[in-house]
Amino acid sequence: MSWLWLRCRVNFTMNIRCCQRNFCAASSPLVPVPLPSPMETHLWYLVPNEVKSDTLLNQYLELLSPCERENVFRMSGDQLRKRALLARALVRTTISRYQTNCQIHPRSLKFRKNIFGKPEVDWQDVDDRHLPPLHFNISHSSSLIACGVTMNSPIGIDVEEKQRKLKNNILAFARRYFSPYEVELLTAISDPEFQRQELIKLWTLKEAYVKALGRGFSAAPFKTFTIRFRTAMEGGIHVSGHRDSEAFDTVIDSFDDPKNLANNWQFALLDLAGSHYAAICTEKDRTAGGKGTLPMKLTVWRTIPFVEDECVSGTDAVVAIAGLT
Amino acid sequence: MATVSTTSASFGVSLKPCFKNNQVTGGASTLKMVTAGWTKNVFPSLRTSRFIVCCAAKPETVQKVCEIVKKQLALSDEIELTPESKFAALGADSLDTVEIVMGLEEEFGISVEEESSQNITTVQEAADLIEKLVHKKA
Repeated sequence: MSWLWLRCRVNFTMNIRCCQRNFCAASSPLVPVPLPSPMETHLWYLVPNEVKSDTLLNQYLELLSPCERENVFRMSGDQLRKRALLARALVRTTISRYQTNCQIHPRSLKFRKNIFGKPEVDWQDVDDRHLPPLHFNISHSSSLIACGVTMNSPIGIDVEEKQRKLKNNILAFARRYFSPYEVELLTAISDPEFQRQELIKLWTLKEAYVKALGRGFSAAPFKTFTIRFRTAMEGGIHVSGHRDSEAFDTVIDSFDDPKNLANNWQFALLDLAGSHYAAICTEKDRTAGGKGTLPMKLTVWRTIPFVEDECVSGTDAVVAIAGLT
Repeated sequence: MATVSTTSASFGVSLKPCFKNNQVTGGASTLKMVTAGWTKNVFPSLRTSRFIVCCAAKPETVQKVCEIVKKQLALSDEIELTPESKFAALGADSLDTVEIVMGLEEEFGISVEEESSQNITTVQEAADLIEKLVHKKA
């Protein structure tokens, strides 16, 4: 496989034009998808182990910008390069599905970073200027890559392997990075495995929030806000792990910026593909009338771009933990 | 393509320098660079080497950082880390990075602010920050 990478790197400029001409004929074209409505969130995920074909990897490589290709080859080792490649390919192919009639070639999408470094699509170069902008956010573990898409709302997502073990002591880690309330919650859990799982879930939620905010880790240090679960009915505070999917409340402790009040954001937490916790954070639908949070309307696809797409909502691959219908 | 008389760097045509109070002499194409804005883009390597010369951390510190990073990312002993090794290129995600920071704090008895921890992307940057904080503590 290392030899293949070298060959790709040398030959990519020659292959590009060929690929663009034959784009739709070469393999299955990308299945176009209707835009998410303002209240909807779409989640696309890819499992790297399901991508085995070097031809397919080459096809993905040809979608990337020169800069992205450089970044891929800077990664240390084949597995990391493959992951980096698949991440960019997933973002490009996912966003291009939402253009009318699949006219936008994934390769022609341009990206930029906001002033805090959050990646976003640079729409100036897209031909269809009437198209409302999509928001996206990507996350990956070593065994899964996910891309969340919304319309008109910032989005942050985070995925972590359910089995992920911390190198540090769980409570020491929580004391260092989480809010006092969250530390208390975790300390109260006696079973170490359950405690570890709850820490990982909490991490994904907090990470998704900071990514949705899009202002960098230091703009919302994890210690300065608490995410806790609360049912609308009881108004009480539960240790997570309740059976029913429930709406979250997020409470921000001592947060300076009044524009980012906690109640602007909503969360969903799910068990994804049986192997991962996935947290999604988006802005609340302000037309909901302020009566509480409507559960997030989420559609999930498992994909191997150009090969297969499978809508997995409602299957075992998507198990709501909280915040979803 | 043009060469600048003061250094040996050369730059490509894609750059659009703004010439303020400059003189471009025909044959020799001598440019006086007065705009700082694009200068730094032209000479990234100079900036980097200046940085390293001024603020080099002790080799032992760098070594210790490498050990902690290798342990966190479960890298095999064969993998050689250099001061320039980027955590992200080694496969570190955000959770790895905060665990690395925590490991460094415990090892060196320091406390890293959130703003600073975001700027730790390589072994050298971590080592430099550690030395700065250890020095402050003393």
